[in-house]
Amino acid sequence: MKHLQVDWTRCDGHGLCARLLSERITLDEWGFPIIDGRDLTVRELSSARLAVRSCPRLALTLEPTVTPASR
Amino acid sequence: MSTATITPSAQATPPVYVVGTARLLAGDTPAVPARDQRWLVEAARAAGLLGRGGAAFPVAAKLASVGRGATVLVNGSESEPASWKDRVLMRCVPGLVLDGALLVAGALHSREVVLAVADASSVAALQAASHQRGAGGRVRVVHTENGFVGGEVQALVNGLDQRPAVPNGRRVLPTVRGVGGRPTFASNVETFAQLALLAAHGPEGFASVGTAAEPGTTLVSVHTPDHGTSVVEVPHGTTLASLVGTSRPLLIGGYHGSWTAATDLRIERPALRAAGIGWGAGVVATLPETTCPIGEIARVAAWLAGESVGQCGPCVFGLAAIAGDLTALARGQRADTAGLRRRLGLVPGRGACSHPDGAARFVASGLQAYAEDLSRHERGGGCGRPVLSALPLGGPR
Repeated sequence: MKHLQVDWTRCDGHGLCARLLSERITLDEWGFPIIDGRDLTVRELSSARLAVRSCPRLALTLEPTVTPASR
Repeated sequence: MSTATITPSAQATPPVYVVGTARLLAGDTPAVPARDQRWLVEAARAAGLLGRGGAAFPVAAKLASVGRGATVLVNGSESEPASWKDRVLMRCVPGLVLDGALLVAGALHSREVVLAVADASSVAALQAASHQRGAGGRVRVVHTENGFVGGEVQALVNGLDQRPAVPNGRRVLPTVRGVGGRPTFASNVETFAQLALLAAHGPEGFASVGTAAEPGTTLVSVHTPDHGTSVVEVPHGTTLASLVGTSRPLLIGGYHGSWTAATDLRIERPALRAAGIGWGAGVVATLPETTCPIGEIARVAAWLAGESVGQCGPCVFGLAAIAGDLTALARGQRADTAGLRRRLGLVPGRGACSHPDGAARFVASGLQAYAEDLSRHERGGGCGRPVLSALPLGGPR
């Protein structure tokens, strides 16, 4: 399973991610993404990958979900 | 009892007291025998020793996770302005701190011991202790000048390696890649002093004070209207009421900590955590009745916003907006409290370090503990009390 993660030191609030994956990403009042960090469904994966590729700051990544047991 | 040796500094070391048996502040440093890594891991586990920098991470787990040759890093930044305990240890019992660091270095076969310290008095005291022990060759005392967030261990490691002293975007544990890129066992000043005591007394002797859940003692930086600032060594299990009374809300854990109106709490990290309270670096404070609590919270919130290192948007914009909302509220201006509450929920978990989380916790819990004062301010006009600036902020120490 995979989920979205933001490197906050890179994110400049361009907002493309929220346009490409509006079902998972909204923007706060300052333009920074609010991410639903739960595991992505198979249907969401392709638009999630597009959002990751489109981030001008390379701040958005798809990360494998680590369960507490495997941590 | 007071064991403070006052050395010249920007601000004098506060008075030091002991409740019950003195361990850290016993005056004469016990002989610390060499121990191997296995012994230290087992002893730290038996003593339930938790890191004293604020995160309360189990020391045994951290010690077990580093291999032979790891660097030892003593974090003496103490960038929390209300905390004095690390400075007290470094200035009054530098030998105990150094013996703890050398103990760990011996157990890990470390090539280097780095002590990162933010104030000149502590640097001088540690250097003298190092010289006395003939340990100068592998001990490096570094004078760092970082802000609040610069004391965070990743930021500290970056600063020591001549990079900007800010947290990494992607978390890398110092045990994996620390000072000079090498695996590093990093912990707070008091953790090393406690390890020295543990090696000297053994787990059973160490546990002859304190509670079963958390043996031993801890240092508390106490701020009260009646007695000002002091540092107190207490056995775990001591009631907070015995230190600061029960009549006012209590700040526990410093400016990343939380306010509470609970009066039956004991100083024991596992129990406090179960009650939803982080002990942090051991700061306890109460405000005088004569000051405006909303104004005091606003003042610290503005300081916290200014201490953002400016890397992460939600921290930069969120903390500034929260501080602005609070300042307006404190002045009795019409404030958007619904917006304030929403913003307090927006910043946690959205930064490279826990600065936004801690700052939001400080403000949100403060507004809850001072709910009556808050509603007076919400109705407009304020509470009529001045802001006495009762809580310490930054400045050279």
